[in-house]
Amino acid sequence: MIDYFVYLLTIIGIWGLLSLSLNLQYGLTGLVNLGHIAFFMLGAYASTILVMVVGTSFVVGFLGGIAAAALFGALIALPTAHLQQDYWAISTLAAAEIARLLLKNTTIGGQYQGGAFGFSGIPQPLYDAFTPETYGWFYLALVLVLLVACWTLVQWLSEMPYGRALKALREGDDLPLALGKDVRSLRIRAMALGGGVAGLAGALYAHFNAFIDPTYFLPLETFIVWSMVILGGAGNHIGALAGALIIQAIYNSTRFLGGWVPIDQNTLGSLRMIVISVLIILVIIYMPKGLVPERVRRYAPAGRRGGT
Amino acid sequence: MAQIVFDSLLRSAELGLLAVGLTMVYSVLRFPNFSHVEFAPLGAYLTLAGASVAGLPLAVAAAIAVALTGLAGVAADRVVFAKLRDRSPIMLMIAAFALGIAMREAMRAIWGPDPKSFPVPLQSPVDLLGASVTPIQIVIIAAAAACMLLFHGLLTYTKLGIAMRAAADNANLAQASGIFTERVIRAVWFIGSAFAGLGGVLIGLNTQIYPMMGFGIIIPVFCAAILGGIGSPYGAMLGALVLGFAENVGLSINFAPLIEAFGGETGGYAFVPTGYKPAIAFVFLILVLLLRPQGIMGARRR
Repeated sequence: MIDYFVYLLTIIGIWGLLSLSLNLQYGLTGLVNLGHIAFFMLGAYASTILVMVVGTSFVVGFLGGIAAAALFGALIALPTAHLQQDYWAISTLAAAEIARLLLKNTTIGGQYQGGAFGFSGIPQPLYDAFTPETYGWFYLALVLVLLVACWTLVQWLSEMPYGRALKALREGDDLPLALGKDVRSLRIRAMALGGGVAGLAGALYAHFNAFIDPTYFLPLETFIVWSMVILGGAGNHIGALAGALIIQAIYNSTRFLGGWVPIDQNTLGSLRMIVISVLIILVIIYMPKGLVPERVRRYAPAGRRGGT
Repeated sequence: MAQIVFDSLLRSAELGLLAVGLTMVYSVLRFPNFSHVEFAPLGAYLTLAGASVAGLPLAVAAAIAVALTGLAGVAADRVVFAKLRDRSPIMLMIAAFALGIAMREAMRAIWGPDPKSFPVPLQSPVDLLGASVTPIQIVIIAAAAACMLLFHGLLTYTKLGIAMRAAADNANLAQASGIFTERVIRAVWFIGSAFAGLGGVLIGLNTQIYPMMGFGIIIPVFCAAILGGIGSPYGAMLGALVLGFAENVGLSINFAPLIEAFGGETGGYAFVPTGYKPAIAFVFLILVLLLRPQGIMGARRR
């Protein structure tokens, strides 16, 4: 039981990183990225390939995962930065699926490795330094340390002039343009930054789960990240983490329910997705700001500052 | 050669029905309805239920199921989207994504994840201008073409069609000139979802029925709609034709001379692997968005 909670918390931490990174792109900058899971996938694959096929150390693997995902973020933002939000959404969805198809159709480092086979037996960092019982705790600590570091980073960025420029961009191009900001470069940097954080989450996931294949990274997973951000409250980094906690708790609750209710696992799997999607529709209709609304700084009314 | 043309037409017929419905909802409500493709398996499953559980003839079951799918579209609008009319398109888009997942998972829970087939006898192919074709595939293409003609008649000659075009062009102006836009929106949802449902039935007749059959073709359908110019039904038909041919022709071109001209080694054969067939639509989509986001027949967007 306690092992399971350690596992669950680790998963929540990894998805918390994903939720944070999407919040940076959507909540802060207003980029409707429907291909978010591609960053997670590239982080997972890059780190796995570096460690397993190339044979580098874990640190290089993780850094490679972050770099690959950040590069992909910049790459898809580069030609599409001028598109409208709805077209942007569709093209990110398509780009993520192209990336997934490429990985699905390419074997890497062996005839039965990569491609549709995926990677199994992915090595875990510092595995020999711990007993199997304590290793779960170590990985949880690793994930939480990185989560806190990333949270601090995005919180710090949001309060910097850079973060305020991103927030201005969210409300439309006109204001940042009038202030002389380079809108294109702001978008590209936001995509690369969010991509990097999601890539870190992917690398953490690959080495934690020890197995990945292309079916782990379907568009459905992108929706789960979105539901975390929408439920928690877009634009608020605490909210993004709260959303990750609640959605993952619902998502994993079926393991407990499985023993109690007479429904087979397939149906339960469908039911939990129905619960999450109905919850998100209700949140959008009745609580559009989410659980933890973004704090909007209010300024004194214009009338009181002199004037007529 | 004739086989490629025929396969392309078949694919275009299936994509076209879905793309036309998608583009109609888009033109009036101005958001990409990600739940649209889920009405395809809904239509197919309802037809299957009518044919195998209630024992109706397949054509009757299909007609009832398509009408019910249209009503399901109107219901989806009433329950979810009508409450979000004044929201940003992003929120509508995410709500549509959520609704699509809810519908898909509900169908998976009810009818199970395994593929099912319509109770049609095994078809023996006939030879048509050098292509081997089953009678049912001819019915599919004919049905799609008939729907497109009917829809053209509706848009051109009826009051409702003119009101729909007016609302698509400028909803506020249409409202101001006495068109009851909410009724137009209901009609658009009904027709769009019914078309998607019929598309699902046709795909099910040609292949199989399974919960992912809608979401599996979401990118080609969006691609056809955007390629033709979003909001233009005729553009969506054209987009579906272009994409249908691109997918089938793209796989049958031997790229060996091209690669050898650049000094590559091919051994005489270099085809795009069939695993990449879905990628053709994705690449097309991204190229269109980059080079001509208004589409082939699209008006400029405000």
